[in-house]
Amino acid sequence: MIEVTGLAKYYGKIRAVDNLSFRIEGGSVFGLLGPNGAGKTTTIKMLTTLSKPDAGQCSIGGHDVVLDHLAVKKLIGVVPQENNLDRELTAHENLVIYSMLHRVPDREAKVRSCLELVDLWGRRDSLVMSFSGGMQRRLLIARALLSEPAVLFLDEPSIGLDPQIRRQMADIIRKTRIDGRTVVITTHYIEEAEALCDRVGVLSKGSLIALDTPDNLKAMVGEYIVECVNAQGKLVQQMCKTRDEAGSLAGEAECAVTIRKSNLEDVFIKLTGERIE
Amino acid sequence: MIARGWSPIFLREMLLFRRKLLRVGYLFSAMVVPIIYLVTFGLGLGRNVQMGGKDYLSYLIPGLVAMSSMNNSYTWVASSLNLNRLYFKSFQIFVQAPIQASAIMIGEVLAGMVKGLFASFLILIVGYVSASDLSITPLFIITVLLNSFLFAALGVITGMITKSHEDTATYNNFFILPMAFFSGTFFPIDRIPELLRAVVWCLPLTHTNLLIRKTSLDADGFLSLAVLLVYAGVFFVVGSRLIRNYSE
Repeated sequence: MIEVTGLAKYYGKIRAVDNLSFRIEGGSVFGLLGPNGAGKTTTIKMLTTLSKPDAGQCSIGGHDVVLDHLAVKKLIGVVPQENNLDRELTAHENLVIYSMLHRVPDREAKVRSCLELVDLWGRRDSLVMSFSGGMQRRLLIARALLSEPAVLFLDEPSIGLDPQIRRQMADIIRKTRIDGRTVVITTHYIEEAEALCDRVGVLSKGSLIALDTPDNLKAMVGEYIVECVNAQGKLVQQMCKTRDEAGSLAGEAECAVTIRKSNLEDVFIKLTGERIE
Repeated sequence: MIARGWSPIFLREMLLFRRKLLRVGYLFSAMVVPIIYLVTFGLGLGRNVQMGGKDYLSYLIPGLVAMSSMNNSYTWVASSLNLNRLYFKSFQIFVQAPIQASAIMIGEVLAGMVKGLFASFLILIVGYVSASDLSITPLFIITVLLNSFLFAALGVITGMITKSHEDTATYNNFFILPMAFFSGTFFPIDRIPELLRAVVWCLPLTHTNLLIRKTSLDADGFLSLAVLLVYAGVFFVVGSRLIRNYSE
């Protein structure tokens, strides 16, 4: 469904994205995980026709993103990282204009169903500037779903939201999968990537350093983590393949230890030596 | 063939414009500069001046209409496009929609024209009350429409190439403000030094001012009309190209 080959983007001497290649199957949820500045947003911008690649190719549904951009635009819906709703228009007006841009048939019914999906139908005639951050993010998702896109891109959909609203967002994203839609999501929230994604690509400094299912990535570093704070006050971690191995390691420790399951941040630390922040 | 998809862009601008109109400050800001000129030059300095056999106010008002349509068409488009592109990021939803760049251009230009024509209409109301010899001919209307079109298109170009909102004011100070004063709004261009006159003759507002004061289309009028059409065409093509090549 989505094919990326040797994709690169440079801003002067900075290599924002470098020789990126991956494939995303239709109907799956694919996550791009990495810290700020890893190249996630730049990758999404290139895939969604907003930024022209300096090298490489990408196609969506068999259409080249640069050469056949109008066909690609008919297939995609985008929830950008920055809120780009018209704040001085109502929720309804924002969605009507978007549906006209994308020539959505049966416009009013579709606007209503999308607003109902994100629980904003009751606030349809309110100006967007009166909405909370969470409501605006939900409206962005409703807008992106209006044209019933085959591929939904979400760039940091939960950024700046409190945990409760983040869970609501995750529920909405899960609902969008029901009709076989492909979802591409960038995030630096580990739990979000683990909970939502079938496969995760780990980005660091513009390069893809790992790509697999969350379980396989975690198995790569060890399923369990034994942690303790040593005499110098430093957090020491040891990755273990099995619970028994973790238990015996904990028994040998001279300080109080915690055994926990590994997560994608452990994968990232193992691969890069850095934390995701 | 007219590019499809311009109507939502136009509708969006009109919805925002309608909300602005409901604010008292907007109407005042659209009228304040031309009215200052009208009072200062027309009723004050020009009270006893005759220009081309007419009282000065009757000469001045078409120029103020041209200037006002230029200022409002250009400034609104340049400023809103710049803000929507760099700050609000709402321009990006147009770029990601399955429509041609020329459709975005048409939507933005038509919206700019409406704002320019609205401001011109306000000046005309004042002009009808205060000037003794003001006639609105079909040529007058065509000229104002063409003037609004080409400056709205120039506004798109500025909105697309400026790297910050402050840059918009810089372009305004370098191109729009000198044009407002030197291009025949307040006095005929044959009164300015010959060296400067050649430059001024090339400016689009000069030809708007020449054309807007004609009652019928003579040979000079045809030339001015042709110049305005060329400017409008070039600005439209350049603006569309800038939108088509947009990349972050």
